[in-house]
Amino acid sequence: MPSFTLKIRRYLPESGDAPFWQEFDVDLEGHRSVLEGILTAKAREDGSIGIRCSCRAAICGSCGVLINGRTRLACNTHLAEAVRESPEDGKIIVEPMNNMPVLKDLIVDMDAVHWKKIQRVTPWLLPEGPPPEREYVVPHENMVDVTQSMACIQCGACVSACLSMEVDPLFIGPAALAKAYRFVGDPRDGAQYERVKDLAEDPAGIYDCTHCFACIDACPKGVAPMSQIMRLRRVASRDHDIEDRNNGYRHEHAFVENIERNGLLHEADLLPDSYGGKLHPRAVPELIDSLPVVAKGLARRKITPGKALLHPHRRHYKDVRKLFKKVQAKDEPLELNLYIVGYEEEEEAAR
Amino acid sequence: MPSHDVLIIGAGLAGQRAALAAAEAGATVAIMSKVHPVRSHSNAAAGGINAALNPEDSWESHAYDTVKGSDYLGDQDAIEIMCREAPDEILWLEHRGVTFHRNETGHLGTRAFGGASQARTYYVADITGQALLHVLYEQLMKHHAAIDRYEEWFVTSLLQDAGGHCVGAVARNIRDGAMETFTAKGTILASGGAGQAFKPTTNALICTGDGIAQAYRAGAPLMDMEMIQYHPTTLLENGFLITEGARGEGAQLFNKDGERFMEKYAPNKMELASRDVVSRAEQTEIDEGRGVGPDGQGILLDVTLVPKKRILEALREIVNIGRDFAGVDITREPITIRPGQHYIMGGVKTDVEGRTPIPGLYAAGEVACVSVHGGNRLGANSLLDTLIFGRRAGAHAAARADGMPMPAEPPASRVRDEEGWIASLLQRGPGSGRRVSEIKDELGEAMNRHCAVFRDEQGLSTCLDVVRRLQEEARSAYVDDRGTIFNQDVLGAIELGYMLDCAEATLLSALERRESRGAQFRTDYPERNDDEWLRHITVSLGASGRPELGYAPVTITSWQPEERKY
Amino acid sequence: MKVAYWPGCVSRGFTPELHGAMEKVAPLLDIELVELDRAACCGAGVIAEHSQELADTLNARTFALAQQTGEALMMNICSTCQGSMSECQERLDANAEYRMAINDNLRDEGLRYEKPVTNKNLAWVLVEEIGLDELAARVRRPLSGLKVGPFYGCYIVRPRERLGIDEERPRHTYLHRIIETLGGTVIDYAGQYKCCGFPIITMNKEASLRQAGRHLGDAVDAHADCLVTPCPLCHLNLDLQQPLAERVVGRELNLPVLHLPQLLGLALGLEPKELGLGRHVVKPTSVIDWSQSVVATATA
Repeated sequence: MPSFTLKIRRYLPESGDAPFWQEFDVDLEGHRSVLEGILTAKAREDGSIGIRCSCRAAICGSCGVLINGRTRLACNTHLAEAVRESPEDGKIIVEPMNNMPVLKDLIVDMDAVHWKKIQRVTPWLLPEGPPPEREYVVPHENMVDVTQSMACIQCGACVSACLSMEVDPLFIGPAALAKAYRFVGDPRDGAQYERVKDLAEDPAGIYDCTHCFACIDACPKGVAPMSQIMRLRRVASRDHDIEDRNNGYRHEHAFVENIERNGLLHEADLLPDSYGGKLHPRAVPELIDSLPVVAKGLARRKITPGKALLHPHRRHYKDVRKLFKKVQAKDEPLELNLYIVGYEEEEEAAR
Repeated sequence: MPSHDVLIIGAGLAGQRAALAAAEAGATVAIMSKVHPVRSHSNAAAGGINAALNPEDSWESHAYDTVKGSDYLGDQDAIEIMCREAPDEILWLEHRGVTFHRNETGHLGTRAFGGASQARTYYVADITGQALLHVLYEQLMKHHAAIDRYEEWFVTSLLQDAGGHCVGAVARNIRDGAMETFTAKGTILASGGAGQAFKPTTNALICTGDGIAQAYRAGAPLMDMEMIQYHPTTLLENGFLITEGARGEGAQLFNKDGERFMEKYAPNKMELASRDVVSRAEQTEIDEGRGVGPDGQGILLDVTLVPKKRILEALREIVNIGRDFAGVDITREPITIRPGQHYIMGGVKTDVEGRTPIPGLYAAGEVACVSVHGGNRLGANSLLDTLIFGRRAGAHAAARADGMPMPAEPPASRVRDEEGWIASLLQRGPGSGRRVSEIKDELGEAMNRHCAVFRDEQGLSTCLDVVRRLQEEARSAYVDDRGTIFNQDVLGAIELGYMLDCAEATLLSALERRESRGAQFRTDYPERNDDEWLRHITVSLGASGRPELGYAPVTITSWQPEERKY
Repeated sequence: MKVAYWPGCVSRGFTPELHGAMEKVAPLLDIELVELDRAACCGAGVIAEHSQELADTLNARTFALAQQTGEALMMNICSTCQGSMSECQERLDANAEYRMAINDNLRDEGLRYEKPVTNKNLAWVLVEEIGLDELAARVRRPLSGLKVGPFYGCYIVRPRERLGIDEERPRHTYLHRIIETLGGTVIDYAGQYKCCGFPIITMNKEASLRQAGRHLGDAVDAHADCLVTPCPLCHLNLDLQQPLAERVVGRELNLPVLHLPQLLGLALGLEPKELGLGRHVVKPTSVIDWSQSVVATATA
């Protein structure tokens, strides 16, 4: 049977010592999980290794850890796979998750971060009026859509991986915002406007996400939290026209109008327009703040005054303007949710 | 020292439902769990929840299927209550936001499940338990003012007053090791099953029979403990669950000759016969040399018969399980499975209000035995059991608490004794005996060998000897962790004691029942024997400190025992 | 090799040196660029956030234009384009009915996207189409002694599945391998796969610049002479905004950030000036000094 080396970052708060690394060799088949590796080390060598775990099958959400620097569930990461991705000659590096305080070894304080943020989004259904006599009648697709967020097991992997939260701990974050979409996208909820208004106006809300895809990659359940955040933005801006104080709405509209006008992005307009236009009171301090940068850009001929005033490529894009008009004139724009419909043609090929 | 009208131990579906019902009735409530509530094992109930909600369906039909599924050992008064109240419970859940599957008209849709004469299983893809659990937790967060949550607290024993009434529990805060007493007018055990006494099992690592053993040690009788469900479709290698929903959606079972063998055993219901029947059929195929896999210990489950779009919509989770834990793409090839330990029908004996014979002590969910499952539980009846009897226990405990004085705080020595006991566990070093983990492994392997689908007196006796020896060894077993913060090691030692109690009760009951009924198949007594054994077996802790067997009648209302055919 | 070439917006807007460098480098790699001069912005994820149909229509249009050139391969030089276009392509390729509806929007222009299109970032083209051996053979001025930190950014490494990153195609390591092939020294540092912060520059400037500043600082601490990035939007936050980022993180950074074609160009023998290195906000003194010293050694 192959042998694997787990290099675990230990932290024993009562010892008074700083975190340290400890290595354990375990004999297991390569398709067994890293969790089984850890539990084997715990059972045979050192029972004091701290890790939360329960189901072993990626449904309870207990065992989020960093494996070779990436946030994963220990239970559904194979040992052999982890070795192949090891940055340190074959040792599997296991550490506690990021963005949350460590309590002991691989156990982090989920309450202090994850659950606090979940509670921030009013995480329960707020139906309008008394319930119907039988079930609410709602479209099948809606239920499948919100079931994607419902698939969340609250493991905190996305919170750990979130690059926005790393620099801005106040950010509500991917898990809580995905949870928010679970209600915003649920036709039975009666507070859609209030929910998205709240999350759009909060400086740490839906517009604090940098769109970095880290949560999508980290999620073991295909929840795609970032996609849910983008849906929240769409509901806020398109369905409710919420002009938030974070410039989220204005930036989005400025960008879209910029492309409609120019075909290619005209950056010199985008920044001021995102703050409401060059002469908008909000834009002025921002532009003054950016002056040294602009001056340097001009000096290095990165930005030429001519280009700053008029986009050089605009004339090629008459057809694009027509396209914008055509698509935007539609009452019900098309949306394809792959979580709901799947990949149909792949199926044909398989059958 | 916290005190509440109602203290609930365990925060899976039964516990959370009890908390909400008790709070709704105006009681002050504490809910306590050794893990965060959403980590509870209710998550694993994938396939769905039964209810006769369709106008064409009837609760009587649901009840009959359940009685028949139980091999007539279920108590029919309790089954009637469960099935009658099921439709309203589904609507209650739906109104609180469970994202139940809809049909094309936007109404609740159903899927077929084993042992049922109608498609009456409501579901959320194949994450039904998870969806329910998380929605209930949303409600707990909503009602935070009325319900105090103690997450990651471990109960070490129940508190009893001089009269034997249950007045709360002693618990350890896992985060910092502090011990505390929680007094309560009523205490509801909702801490789940004991599957970890078997290896392999579909059950989570937390399912260590805590509540069953705590009640037993407090003097409450256990009932139907011999009835251990082996689920027909668990992964060959590690025992992980493949939901019955797969067969409900059309997946079929094959032996190594490509034969759809269920034709022989249950020509009408085929793969959707009740679980004991399907598991026995599989085990027979395996034992007679028609199994697949390296040692011929497996059976093929072919999910490719289900349209791919439907798999992605309704069985997404088992696609993940197949990929991650067996390296098999179930949309393209069959997966190898076998029967595996899944559920215990038995537990702490209760009435239909969740009351145990100990005043002030209730139980609901897998920890309890009402008994609605009798000799064999139908798929998608477990979620229902947790919710119906969790709610009833919560409501009853709240009503009972109303106007009742808060019990006196227990003497401080009570906590000190418990602290001393844990300290003594911590003092044991490698010289004192075996490792806890070794004993646990030996227990699980022995139980799975001798107390599984087919049993006989010799195997059961051998196994009982093993368990008794392990009980001895557990008294000197040692742990490595000497700390207080998240000392999971010492909790493991306590859990081992709980599991051994459960295993002993199971073996004694299985030896006692000299017939074959439901999940208990005795090769030395292969027939059902209603004349002698249409009764429950109970196990209580006797005055001598030894287990004592007893009997309880089976309640029969409308359905007389018949021969059971699928 | 002829490719349908999509330079994107920013490479012709605020980072003109990128497009310029690519045009200079292409002939040295025998790449003939057939520029898609009518194609429009990919939407950078922002248009998709506003209207999925609009973003998918714009990108289907670009794909259709690429297919019209008759070239089998489409190449881009912007990670953000790669990521945004891959996301749209995933939807377009998944569902025939949807693709038809989007193509319907393009009917007036006589355009139509036929699944599939192969759209690769320059980094992928280098490794998978040209090959690192071939690239190595063309190196005229190995980047010996130059310590380069790869800055991948987000759109070209996540999500892995959509971008086709797996053990066979470890695209998340390509910058590393290219730097090595060019003779440079790879500097690993904490921020190499993190977000530059640019997408929220107008929403949360402080957090945005803190991201840029931290990653730059980590690279400085790891003794990088410069960074290289395949994404012009990252370049905006890392270079153009670097003076402001310095203010937010409270330290001097002064770390030059090169576009991938610029780094290639240096190794293929082009001069810093030809590659527009003088157009950066952070003057790439370290890189220019390095190239001068290389020249000096060669002539000595």
